[in-house]
Amino acid sequence: MALFNSIFTTLFDLLLARFGYGRPWFDLLLWPLVGGVMALLVIKAVSNQAGILRAKNLIQVHLLEIVLFRDQLRVVLPATVRALGYNVQYLAYNIVPMFVMIVPMTAILVQLVSHYAYAPLPLNSPVTLVVELDRAVAGVKPADVSLELPAGVQLDAPPVRTSGNVVAWRLRATEAGDHVLRVRAGAWTEEKRLSAGGEPRKVSMLRTKGLEALLYPAEPVPAAESPVWSVRIMERRDQPLGWLPSGEGGILLWFFAVSLLVGFLLKDIFGVTL
Amino acid sequence: MLVAAVALSFSGCASPSRTSPDRPGLFVLGIDGMDPAILRRLIAEGKAPNFKKLAEQGGFQELGTSNPPQSPVAWSNFVTGLDPGGHGIYDFVHRDPATYMPTSSATPPPGDPGTFVKVGGYHLPVLPGDEVLNNRSGTAWWDAVYAAGVDVEVYRIPGNYPVPASEAKTLSGMGTVDMRGGYGEYTWITDSAPVPPQGHDLKGDVQLVAVEDFDLDGIPDTVKASLKGPPDLFHLEPGKLPGESDYLSAAITVSIDPAEEVALIELGEERVVLKEGEWSPWVPVSFDALPGGVMPLAGSVRFYAKELRPAFKLYASPVNLSADTPPQPISTPPAFATDLAELLGGQYYTQGMPEETNALKDGTFDDDDYVRQVALIQEDGSAMLSLALARFQRGDATFVYLSDIDLQCHMLWRHGDPKHGDAPAHPAFEPVSAAAHRLDIEGYYRHVDGLLGRVMERLPPDTLLLTMSDHGFQPFTRVVHLNAWLRDNGFLMLKGGKRTGQIALGDVDWSRTKAYALGFNSVYLNLQGREAQGIVSAGEADAVAQDLRTRLLALTDGDEARRVVLRVDRGRDIYRGDRVAEAPDLIIGYDRGYGHSDESTLGEILEAQLADNTSRWSGNHLMAPEVVPGVLLSSHAIQGEAHDLTDVTSTILAWYGVDPLPGMLGAPFLTP
Repeated sequence: MALFNSIFTTLFDLLLARFGYGRPWFDLLLWPLVGGVMALLVIKAVSNQAGILRAKNLIQVHLLEIVLFRDQLRVVLPATVRALGYNVQYLAYNIVPMFVMIVPMTAILVQLVSHYAYAPLPLNSPVTLVVELDRAVAGVKPADVSLELPAGVQLDAPPVRTSGNVVAWRLRATEAGDHVLRVRAGAWTEEKRLSAGGEPRKVSMLRTKGLEALLYPAEPVPAAESPVWSVRIMERRDQPLGWLPSGEGGILLWFFAVSLLVGFLLKDIFGVTL
Repeated sequence: MLVAAVALSFSGCASPSRTSPDRPGLFVLGIDGMDPAILRRLIAEGKAPNFKKLAEQGGFQELGTSNPPQSPVAWSNFVTGLDPGGHGIYDFVHRDPATYMPTSSATPPPGDPGTFVKVGGYHLPVLPGDEVLNNRSGTAWWDAVYAAGVDVEVYRIPGNYPVPASEAKTLSGMGTVDMRGGYGEYTWITDSAPVPPQGHDLKGDVQLVAVEDFDLDGIPDTVKASLKGPPDLFHLEPGKLPGESDYLSAAITVSIDPAEEVALIELGEERVVLKEGEWSPWVPVSFDALPGGVMPLAGSVRFYAKELRPAFKLYASPVNLSADTPPQPISTPPAFATDLAELLGGQYYTQGMPEETNALKDGTFDDDDYVRQVALIQEDGSAMLSLALARFQRGDATFVYLSDIDLQCHMLWRHGDPKHGDAPAHPAFEPVSAAAHRLDIEGYYRHVDGLLGRVMERLPPDTLLLTMSDHGFQPFTRVVHLNAWLRDNGFLMLKGGKRTGQIALGDVDWSRTKAYALGFNSVYLNLQGREAQGIVSAGEADAVAQDLRTRLLALTDGDEARRVVLRVDRGRDIYRGDRVAEAPDLIIGYDRGYGHSDESTLGEILEAQLADNTSRWSGNHLMAPEVVPGVLLSSHAIQGEAHDLTDVTSTILAWYGVDPLPGMLGAPFLTP
């Protein structure tokens, strides 16, 4: 997971935001387009195109049968069953390309979200930092965890050390920047970036050893031997994207809508049956 | 399709102005409960310089309020230019003559719930039932002004929930419900049961919890509780009112640090660190009406860590409807509420009356807690006023409602009468707290004066600025248990020889009852053909009403024989409009210092007729209209005198050259 994140993050840090974070539209148009074309190529390469065409034709035939003989139950019922059967077959033909595509498509989407979904937090507003300890790594308790703050970030309340192996702080960034917070857990130190104020840029919300790391690849996954399971900033602000839908959900919807549109527009050029 | 999507996105960003900038605009500041006598004193003492400036620029008069002078009634007069006979809002509380049960005046009694099919324990709607509509009739002034081509923005207008359809931009205020569907129920999570004042039922949802020692280190550290959300409508029998266990809920975990007085509150995906004595920012919370997150209902809540140790006392505000994604419309267009959330940087108070009067009445809040919560609401109101001013352009019509005065007068009057300097101590006077809070009401007036200064500074100079209130204020020292008085005077009979009981519990013997009180100023005859078990014939009604009126006007209190009731009006005589038939038969106008008890308002019959008001709800305006007039200040000279709320409506229409709408009662007070 750490290697996967590292490869894709390095790659997309090179590819994305070539025109700056203030002009997200280029990437948010280009990459769904790439996704749509990639999907067409994958479908053409790995799917049973003849089978898909046949299933579609047979669905149409049986739908026509239902329309033409709507007053004859003996015709309509078997036709309905067959139409449903060919629908299932059609979906089955699409499973293989879906499995092939899911990894690269998700990786592109996650990288777009990572770069464009979140805005730096406002200055002087409360920020909750939550550190969860890894129960599998023995020896460190919440009492052994401390936080080292850089200049420009202030502690707003004493830490809360919970019985659930969690330590939480309330902070306040007083200066703009990508501040590095250092969490000391016993002899181990983990770092977490806190972006506050200033221009739009890549903002990291979470570092974790959990599967969630696949969705939040902006910072490295903590090492396996680290006593820290995750470091999370609770507050998040959506980065406004002008006329494009913003936030995680907005980018997700936009990505799939444009990819689908591109796929349907270009399917004949690529000779693909969808 | 792509082009269409992009074009649609652009079109959502800004709407072109409809207002012609070659005519002056209108800005109305609606200040609930501002009293002319208090304002006059503060102006004379130099404590309200901006009100003084406005009064000198145009004028300052008393403004006649509605009869009865209740906020929903008064604001409906202002909104429509009609009286209750026209708009149909007679009281906070109406009654259903078929059942004698109290109902909300904002919405008519529920009708057909629709047709449902039960699937896996869920009642899924098949055919829609009756839509829940606002009970107010008439045309709102903003609709008439909008139709004349004016950009209108109306912020937090009372009595506008459920939100009637409108082309104008409106945000509903007083009357807007919380997630539970009421006017606001707070949650009190504690390990020590609160002791309410004697005879007072707790209004909050009190959860008695244990602070548990989860890590077995000898120091209690964790509290598990829950926050009630909206009624679980898909599990609830259609048409049935929700019981205590019929609400969706969200789990709360509070972890207290073993050494410091600080806690981590977890609610869903959200976590917030709170020191003892601190208020949290808004914390979003979502309730799933259907499994799998298919129908999330979004709300927002604020926590207050009153005490973490040795006792545990955590307050959670009523769950406000999310301003960003309200689960039901609170504005027109629906996106207006969302746009405001974006412009204000997040959640704002959507609950109609967010001041936590219930916790103060329950005794879970003290005055310091209450005043600090009011300060949060003031910040919120001030930000919204600034936004309204920033959006105001020459020619526009804008209304902004301010709640700074009303509920604070209700709750803090007992510390020192701001209107009658020589008044004896209020029965609910608390000497220790009074020392700190005696001048709070004056402070709120001065705060509003500061806001007015901001408004006057920002508006284009030729804008008509109207500052008005729906009613004034008086002390509330004695409560009248009117149903007890009706019983003692032979108008109301209880079953089985009982002397006390409740209408809602079936204790009243309707076969012998001629009249009953429900609502804050309303008395109904038990009329044949209207009430389900009516005994008073149409022929007898006038005589019974006249008998009641005569005896009520003769009612006196104490050794000094103080007059209790100043006036008694017959609804059908004082109201005009299509809905006069729904009017209460008698509207009771109490003299200064007197008012309906809460018990009588909801149909309870107690032993005593009159009692000291020992509740912290110590100032009031539910009296005769002439003892609680409101204020009217204008940037332009006011012609004539003795204006009332409906005149303000007519003046607004006349300002834009709009003819009065059918049934409107007022007359403009500005020279054309």
